[in-house]
Amino acid sequence: MHALIAASSGATFPVLTALVVTPILGAVVLLLMPASRPEHFKQVAFLISAVVGAMSAWVMFEFETGAAASFQFVDRADWIEGLGISWALGIDGISLWLVVLTGALFPLAIVAINAEHTPKAYFSWILVLEAGCMGVFLALDLFAFFVFFEIVLVPMYFLIAQWGHGDRAYAATKFFLYTMFGSAFMLVGILATAFLTAAETGNALTFDLVEIAESQALATTTARWIFLSFALAFAVKVPLFPVHTWLPDAHTNAPTAGSVILAGVMLKLGTYGFLRFGIYLFPEAAVYFAPLMLTLGTIGILYGAIAATMQRDLKRLVAYSSVAHLGFIIIGTFALNTEGIEGGILQMVNHGVSTGALFLLVGMLYERRHTRQISELGGLQKPAPIFAAVFMVVMLSSIGLPGLNGFVGEFLTLIGAFAAHRWWAVVAASGVVIAALYLLWAYQRVFHGPAEGENATMKDLTLSEGLVMLPFLAAIVFMGVYPKPVLERMEPAVDALIAHVEANVDGFHEAEADELHPIELDDLEHLESDDADHGEGE
Amino acid sequence: MLAQIETLPVNTPDVDWAGLLPLAILGVGAVVLVMFRSVVKRLPADIETQVVTLVGPITVLGMWVAGGYAGENVPLASVRDDVGEPAFYIGLLVVMGVAALLVRTMQIGLDAAVTAGVGLSAISAVWALWDDRFTSTGPFNAIGDQFGVDGFSLVITGVIASAVVLVAFLLDDYLRREELDGPEMYVLMLLSAAGGVVMAGANDLIVLFLGLETLSIAVYVMAAMHVRRSESQEAGLKYFVLGAFSSAFLLYGIAMVYGATGSTNLIDIRIFLDSVVLVDDGLLMAGFALLLVGLGFKVAAAPFHSWTPDVYQGAPTPVVAFMASAVKAAGFAALVRVFVVTFGGYSSDWQPAVYALALLTLVVGSVLAVVQRDAKRMLAYSSISHAGFILVGVQASSPEGTASVVFYAVAYTFLVIGSFGVLTVVSGRGDRATSLDDLDGLAARRPALALAFTIFLLAQAGVPLTTGFVAKFEVIGAAVEARSYWLAIAAMVTAVVSAFLYLRIVLSMYMGTAAENPADDGSRIHPAAALAIGVALVITLGFGIVPGPIDELARDAVPHLVAAG
Amino acid sequence: MSDFLRSYLTVAIFGLVGFALVGAFLGLGRLLRPDKPNLAKTEAYESGVDPTGDMWSQSNIRYYIFALLFVMFDVEAVFIFPWAARLEAYEIFGLIEMAIFIFILLLGLLYAWRKGVLKWV
Repeated sequence: MHALIAASSGATFPVLTALVVTPILGAVVLLLMPASRPEHFKQVAFLISAVVGAMSAWVMFEFETGAAASFQFVDRADWIEGLGISWALGIDGISLWLVVLTGALFPLAIVAINAEHTPKAYFSWILVLEAGCMGVFLALDLFAFFVFFEIVLVPMYFLIAQWGHGDRAYAATKFFLYTMFGSAFMLVGILATAFLTAAETGNALTFDLVEIAESQALATTTARWIFLSFALAFAVKVPLFPVHTWLPDAHTNAPTAGSVILAGVMLKLGTYGFLRFGIYLFPEAAVYFAPLMLTLGTIGILYGAIAATMQRDLKRLVAYSSVAHLGFIIIGTFALNTEGIEGGILQMVNHGVSTGALFLLVGMLYERRHTRQISELGGLQKPAPIFAAVFMVVMLSSIGLPGLNGFVGEFLTLIGAFAAHRWWAVVAASGVVIAALYLLWAYQRVFHGPAEGENATMKDLTLSEGLVMLPFLAAIVFMGVYPKPVLERMEPAVDALIAHVEANVDGFHEAEADELHPIELDDLEHLESDDADHGEGE
Repeated sequence: MLAQIETLPVNTPDVDWAGLLPLAILGVGAVVLVMFRSVVKRLPADIETQVVTLVGPITVLGMWVAGGYAGENVPLASVRDDVGEPAFYIGLLVVMGVAALLVRTMQIGLDAAVTAGVGLSAISAVWALWDDRFTSTGPFNAIGDQFGVDGFSLVITGVIASAVVLVAFLLDDYLRREELDGPEMYVLMLLSAAGGVVMAGANDLIVLFLGLETLSIAVYVMAAMHVRRSESQEAGLKYFVLGAFSSAFLLYGIAMVYGATGSTNLIDIRIFLDSVVLVDDGLLMAGFALLLVGLGFKVAAAPFHSWTPDVYQGAPTPVVAFMASAVKAAGFAALVRVFVVTFGGYSSDWQPAVYALALLTLVVGSVLAVVQRDAKRMLAYSSISHAGFILVGVQASSPEGTASVVFYAVAYTFLVIGSFGVLTVVSGRGDRATSLDDLDGLAARRPALALAFTIFLLAQAGVPLTTGFVAKFEVIGAAVEARSYWLAIAAMVTAVVSAFLYLRIVLSMYMGTAAENPADDGSRIHPAAALAIGVALVITLGFGIVPGPIDELARDAVPHLVAAG
Repeated sequence: MSDFLRSYLTVAIFGLVGFALVGAFLGLGRLLRPDKPNLAKTEAYESGVDPTGDMWSQSNIRYYIFALLFVMFDVEAVFIFPWAARLEAYEIFGLIEMAIFIFILLLGLLYAWRKGVLKWV
């Protein structure tokens, strides 16, 4: 695998480095611009993020499908030689779509929303955030990964604290401290991984992801402890059930662009981390802890769904629905088979698109009505039919209606989980039903019925807002109808990851969904062995 | 019987003047400055401006000469050979002219200019020693076997000299604002710095003690220098009483170690401990304990930290910047030299104590900081928690650990000077406006300053792409390598607690509504102070993004005990 | 008795002789002088300041400065005596060292003088 990286690094233009550095340079440019013409900040910020988006699109088209599952477009340079830390960026089928999502979502979030005040700092922070997110998805070095993983906190903190609403100081601080708390353990974990691997293999100290993952030099117990330290950091970021409480606060109080980016991109940092750093680095531990993660994911699905049902604030409702959606990603990921992981990645992208769009719509609603309380809204369908229609499509995608993108991802994760750990999947599937309940109910209360007071005169979607929503709708429909181009690009990487797990974990075999059909109710042996696996795991 | 003493020959030690040059520059600088100011108390204003302008070129010459004397060759000799003598000297003149211009635009006073010049010359000497001498011939002793020049002491010397330069820039405007103008502060700072350099290179416990006292006594006076603030007087007295107390502990510890090993010379002690197995090491252990207490006081490690908040809050803000940077660096240099290097063979005996000390310091520094309402006091507690982090590196007792201590000392010096530099500017006339309420709305009043302060605070919190993060990374790495996982985790968790405190300061700057502050007249920041903050900022961010050079420096900065002979 | 302790014997004898001499002179004086006690004579510091009173009574700050200056030169003497005893052994090196030492002390005096603290107003 390592040799393959070297072979593919012949690219002339360091496009991945450019993906990370361009937004930062953009932020510097913004800071240096005179404050006298505030309207230019948005244009410049959009231009820069659009350039980044174009570059990510170029990467998507240039990405070699069906090639060996190695990292492509690799950039590598020494960073801190004494510690064996390098600036290593690379992309494969797993990270490709998240990079594309990041590249696409940021320009839309920038163009859709105006800064309420001090646009210079606002757009600068958003660009820094984009650089950090890109860095996380591209990093192939544990140090670099951690740097980006942590640096995204700062811009998001300021976005919430300075441009947020309500109890923004509390929400921002909580967000920062929660995430930093998780990362604190991961930092120790990263260092332990590097130092212990170097001690075991006798090689020089390195933080290179591939090198460490391929050497698998750690003792089983050690690896399990370190996995837990990583898992805590990712669990906070996802967020998984017991450490999710920062999310509703952060979402509710964040400015709209902050919410869109938080839901669209930043929540994926955790799930992506599980895939790239949890499972890849510690396959044995991942298999060992899979039942735990599945349980937490399932709890997240049910808890998020039930909590969402009870919300009075539309934005908070969407926030809780995120908790539920991310639960699907987790159970798909820890099903540890092709369907599950592919579904998980697809669901990451889907969630970014649909929930990002939902937050945008809620933000537009708030701009018009200055309230997000469901009880104060009603009958909006009459004054704003287009708005209602767009909201409907996005919401249905979030529910997982067949033909729209949400369905494909959720379905795949459930298939994967069903093949691997049947009962978790059965319980989790009920989350789909509750999702339909809370979203449809909310839609009914907000858009149906008689429109009274201010609701009756609400402005419909303007042309520019419609143009912003168009890419979202296109993505929702396209990925729902024809997900093949997406899936075929990620497949080699996913297969390689599973092969890596199979190769490094004794007695682990991918629970393939193909084995399920035709439904073998009489295959009691299979069921028993399946149960026995669980017994071991717990 | 009494008359039987024969006249023994006195061995005058071999003195390597070049190795002593940084120390000599700082010490002689202090003496010359006080002498000059004693003879010429005040120059007429227009003559003073001319003289200050002259200090710039003289500093350039001083750096050139200092570098030339310390190194094997005259610095830039190769450049001179390349471009030919006339061109070289014309170039030198141009640089001197630029320096003069720079000093003029900084509107800096004579004392501050001289102090900064002395500091820069010392840095130049350190640079030359490192480049020409240390990297080619390795560590050596400067006076007999009493004072060692190795990578470690050189880097710490450089750190202390840099602190002198930056704090001199901060002091200039501060002293005029507070109507305390005079050469005393600068002279004391230079003397204190000289003491710190002695500590960093001391190869003998007595020399170490001399350095420590020179460093401390000067700082006690500096802390009490703000004559119109009772808090400052209180700080000075408190610092003095507790400091003297800790010196007594240290001295007692030295006596114990002498009793156990028969020498106060670190080289002899090391040789003795390596070659002899002590049957009864109680005396040595007691010596360890007392030395640890004495040095723990100096670096503000809990439970010997109780002076820190009061002293930091009361002392003049630029002085706090000096205390938190140079004094702390010197203290840790001594700690590493004595414990990690000399008593390295007995690390299993003192490591648990340092472990406990580090843990306690981290917890106290972070948790107690949370309930404070004054930014200066908060930063005082945060400096305690940083001391805890450095102790984690000391605890590792490994080359990795020592490198991390050096890295942390370098990074923290600039961080803390920047932080207190900002506070110096905003604290206003009377040096009082440092509570969180006073910082309210700073971002609206002074956006650039608020951004700089934010970066310093985030760096202290350990946010990546700053030196603060890499420093924490190295320290935690050293702890992990030494298999102190729980200490590493505890350190990181307390870092999160500390982050809450930094965020509180940031929040009050950005969310506060008070657009006007009576203490802050909103005048332009004095160019010299702005330069100091700017330099600290550039180093914090620059070496945060590209930490390689400092990392390499820290790795090369290995303390070494060179046996005499 | 070891040589070590024997050398202390010299000290002890020296001390004893000292005490005996002082006792002898004081006793002799008492025998010879006329004895007429009054209140002023029985005070601890005859003809001085009354030593009783409030502990926090203020005294002139200049006392401290003069005390400090005194200590400065006192300590100087402490260093100069042993140095003078070995001057030959130290040769020119020692001379320069002592010159620097005295120079720094004199510098302090110069500073104090220029600060105006030597004037008793």
